[in-house]
Amino acid sequence: MINTMDLTNKKILVVGASSETGEAIVNQLLGLSAFVVMLDHVEEKLVNIANKYNLNKLAFNCFNIYNNQEIEKGIKHLNTLYGPFDGLVFCGGKGGVRPLQLTKNSFIHDMMNDNLYSFVEIARCITKKGCFNNGGSIVAISSVSSIKGLKSKIAYSASKAALDASVRGMASELSDKKIRVNSILKGWVTSDMKLDFIQDNMELSKNEDFAKQILGVIEPNEIANTVCFLLSDLTKTITGTAILHDGGYSL
Amino acid sequence: MKHLISFEDKVILITGASAGIGQATAILLSNLGAKLILLATNEEKLINTMELLSGGGHHYFCYNLANLENIESKIKEIINIGGKIDGFVNCVGVRSRRPISLLTPKEIRNLMDINFGSFIEIVRCITKKGNFNSGLSIVGVSSIAAQAGGVSVTAYAASKAAVESAVRCLSKELAPKNIRLNTVVPAQINTPEYANLLNMNGGVDNVLNRQYLGLGEAVDVANAIAFLLSPASKFITGISLPVDGGYLSS
Repeated sequence: MINTMDLTNKKILVVGASSETGEAIVNQLLGLSAFVVMLDHVEEKLVNIANKYNLNKLAFNCFNIYNNQEIEKGIKHLNTLYGPFDGLVFCGGKGGVRPLQLTKNSFIHDMMNDNLYSFVEIARCITKKGCFNNGGSIVAISSVSSIKGLKSKIAYSASKAALDASVRGMASELSDKKIRVNSILKGWVTSDMKLDFIQDNMELSKNEDFAKQILGVIEPNEIANTVCFLLSDLTKTITGTAILHDGGYSL
Repeated sequence: MKHLISFEDKVILITGASAGIGQATAILLSNLGAKLILLATNEEKLINTMELLSGGGHHYFCYNLANLENIESKIKEIINIGGKIDGFVNCVGVRSRRPISLLTPKEIRNLMDINFGSFIEIVRCITKKGNFNSGLSIVGVSSIAAQAGGVSVTAYAASKAAVESAVRCLSKELAPKNIRLNTVVPAQINTPEYANLLNMNGGVDNVLNRQYLGLGEAVDVANAIAFLLSPASKFITGISLPVDGGYLSS
């Protein structure tokens, strides 16, 4: 039987690899025979992940992916070490729940910086001549929050909507270089729920948002499947798209 | 290496399987281990598709889906012979180009019956108890026409939009039965139908100006169908996935 999602000979950079979703993506990519470079700002977590896998196919690097002053130099260094990439996955960024009265400019700025500016800057640097192969694919993890109104998620929703819009523009511009760009609008993933549980101090059973997700809670490896699909040659005519992966949340 | 997309011993029903996207989907899914049930009107073309399949255990049935009344008995026959359904791909889609001055109620009704009515009727029949296996996944083939305006394709666009809308509703209704439904939304694809369209327009296609990755191939759509049909997408339901070379976002 053929394997349509074979990623052999593809070199993929996973930004934000130390998150639960990031690690699930790394795991799935390695299972499909890709060469994976993990990138994040916390080295200890990357070391822990690297220790679980075969190092022949896995490397990691560490710099502050949210500091726009460091990104250009950092990406250049990665290209020197590993050559041009075939794929970029951006699963960095942050969540955050704040009511309007606490949504001040500094909070919005931080959210935009981590969820949008760093993605655009990494994409800008990695798509320079000789740094990214023709036929390559960029995937950004967005959220269903970008198209649905959620209480106290003003800044987060805005940053994800901005991310999706940047993907559309980038897709159009980078098509000349045969590079595709897409985002995934994820619904509630187990790891997010833990995060929001702490931030919200809400009981899940009382969370109406969760009940809207008719297929239940999503495991990070499910998101990883869609990431691999978009990185693979199966999707060579799909670009500029925001794929809903939300267990029916937005219906 | 992992196989994220596999249909080993899964029974998949494909309508409109004799050419274009339906045929490409049949070939791909057979390569991925599926047992196929192909449905279309033209026996000669169906036999041609059957000859292109890998593996065994496939069946084909000739049926004109414009005949809505007898779909239920045909589905019963299909399930008796082919077994319970694990997946259904609806590739039936009659294209029609008519300016509003020629778009009579009869014309609209005929097109809605074949493009929308037959889809709903098949879904109604196969989702009855005993006709499907748990995890049933249904994929409808829509069109960019459903989401963007096009000259003289009013009825066709409406029929495809109806499919997408119904898929969102049915996703909610059928989720308790562990059934998922999604659509793929192709732009211009290199099929015999597209060649006819191009001939009618003197070889000019303005859609490709916005479809900046160029003309798609039927197998590109088949790949997206295979992903949505497979358990690799088991938390995706009710979506419309563009396979459009950038058209809808540009």
